[in-house]
Amino acid sequence: MINRKNSINTQFLYELIINSSDDAIISETLDGFITSFNPAAEILFGYTAAEAINKHISIIVPQNKLNEESDIASKIKDGEYIKNFLTERMGKDGSVISVSLASSPIKSNTGQIIGLSTIARNITDEMAAEKKLEQSIKEVADYKFALIESSIIGITDNKGVILFANDNLCKISKYSVDELIGQDHRIVNSGHHPKDYIQNLWTTIANGDIWRGELKNKAKDGSFYWVNTTIVPFLNGQGKPYQYVAIKDDITERKRVEEELLQLNLDLDEKVIERTEQLQLANKELDAFSYSVSHDLRAPLRAVNGYSKILLEDYGIQLDAEANRVINNIEANVIKMGQLIDDLLAFSRLGRKELILANIQMYDLVRGICNEMKVEYPKRNIEFHIHPIQTVLADMPSIKQVWINLISNAVKYTSPKEITIIEIGCNVTDHDIVYYVKDNGVGFDMQYADKLFGVFQRLHSDKEFEGTGVGLAIVHRIITKHNGKIWAESKLNEGTIFYFSLKKVQNEK
Amino acid sequence: MKNDQIDILLVEDNESDAEMTNRILRKNNIASKLLHLSDGAMALDYLFAEGIYAGRQIENKPKVIMLDLKMPKVNGIEVLHRIKSDDRTKIIPVVILTSSKEDPDIKRCYELGANSYVVKPVEFDEFHKAVTNLGLYWLITNQPPV
Repeated sequence: MINRKNSINTQFLYELIINSSDDAIISETLDGFITSFNPAAEILFGYTAAEAINKHISIIVPQNKLNEESDIASKIKDGEYIKNFLTERMGKDGSVISVSLASSPIKSNTGQIIGLSTIARNITDEMAAEKKLEQSIKEVADYKFALIESSIIGITDNKGVILFANDNLCKISKYSVDELIGQDHRIVNSGHHPKDYIQNLWTTIANGDIWRGELKNKAKDGSFYWVNTTIVPFLNGQGKPYQYVAIKDDITERKRVEEELLQLNLDLDEKVIERTEQLQLANKELDAFSYSVSHDLRAPLRAVNGYSKILLEDYGIQLDAEANRVINNIEANVIKMGQLIDDLLAFSRLGRKELILANIQMYDLVRGICNEMKVEYPKRNIEFHIHPIQTVLADMPSIKQVWINLISNAVKYTSPKEITIIEIGCNVTDHDIVYYVKDNGVGFDMQYADKLFGVFQRLHSDKEFEGTGVGLAIVHRIITKHNGKIWAESKLNEGTIFYFSLKKVQNEK
Repeated sequence: MKNDQIDILLVEDNESDAEMTNRILRKNNIASKLLHLSDGAMALDYLFAEGIYAGRQIENKPKVIMLDLKMPKVNGIEVLHRIKSDDRTKIIPVVILTSSKEDPDIKRCYELGANSYVVKPVEFDEFHKAVTNLGLYWLITNQPPV
């Protein structure tokens, strides 16, 4: 009873194991015809048992592995077992499956080997994982190689003892590998950095964090080099650093340039301060000079003028016509000299005066000046054509002076004409406003245009047109101070156009 | 002379200017009693009866002081400051005469109490006119403090 029960159970158990196995289990005859094909085999190879049974085993063997099967069969025939045989088999759909095979003989009741049973374990996933791992390892090695080739690498243990130094580290520190390995990292300490800086570095990496910063190190020969450094702690299973990998780049040259730049800036600052002082001193001297010129040059002029007047008053009757003419010439020159002094002072004053920017209603300003001109020259026939002109941000008193000088110039140099026509307007460009004053006066030869704006430079004699040669120099200086430009176009006997441009937006004063 | 009542005290280091001024005022019969002193130190001695003017009656004040600014030793500003900060002299009208429009001191002069500020014109006719007007105004038109 018990035996029978046992034998039934054994039979049942075998079937259960074969049918529920995750591994494919296939049996075949010695000449390779499939005799059983379990459910796992169906899943793995895609054939149903009905399809597979009685087919030759070669339906699940890739072309290049066909001879394996006869090898296995002959080994089994010889009574051998096959274990952990790694190879590939093929699914119904032609897919290649990595498998680990274990084959054992099937014996008849008489003990004769009549076939073999093979357990095929699908190891495709394991193989893929292994391949990936291999790839990863290779990749890591490549990274390491790239890093070692490109950067300066040093590795220390968690106490700072150097474990590894690459060629680049040796090159920059001028130590050999042997001189570095086993040494404390402080062998390259320059003493440049404050204590806190280094302390912070160690606290950071000892906490397992990455530290980044610039370090100045000392080479074997005592020279210094700078490295941009990233220190990465490698952590053990407990999360404690067991070694530190320092990846560095040589920034010595950059640092040198930076320091040089800093020094240059300091020098420049100093120079600016020095120059400003010099300038202030020069301005002071100029102030004193102007004061003295206006004071001391005028007094003798007044005396010359006064005494010649006294001469006329007290001795006029005794003097003949020529003597009177001479005295008159003395007076005329005194007046001229006085004018020169005044103009020169006005010019020098300009240089020191600060511009105060405000919106200037140019049209009103120009119209006012033109009206004054008409009053000043009642006998002249002057037509002013004033176009609408753009307002601008500029220094009012000095821009007014510009208009007065240009308009009175136009009036002066048109005096020989019967009718004076003066046209005033502006053109607006992208960044500038270009104002112009156009007259129908005597004009000038353009080959002397470069002399127009020089101090005391004149293109006409006093006999033709009176003047000191300062008016346009003043205009030039004012416009230049406003970052503007001034120029002129002229044709002899036809007229002159003076242009000056001002920035639409004044950036600086 | 020390105690003579004078009309105008002219403090001017430039002899020519002084001569012109004197001549113009005399010719126009504006001031016969004009005292010209050629520096600030002498002017202070006179006004405060010190030095060579010790013993002069300070109360005998000039009707107007014409004061040049730029002078050796004690300049016009200092003289003005002394005059206007002393109760005995501060009521005397002081006319500043200077050669220069450029003077940075115009404001300072008024702050110190100058009664007038005149730039001496270069041209003699203008100068003549200015001095005549000044003389007429301060000695005749203007009512001096008692």
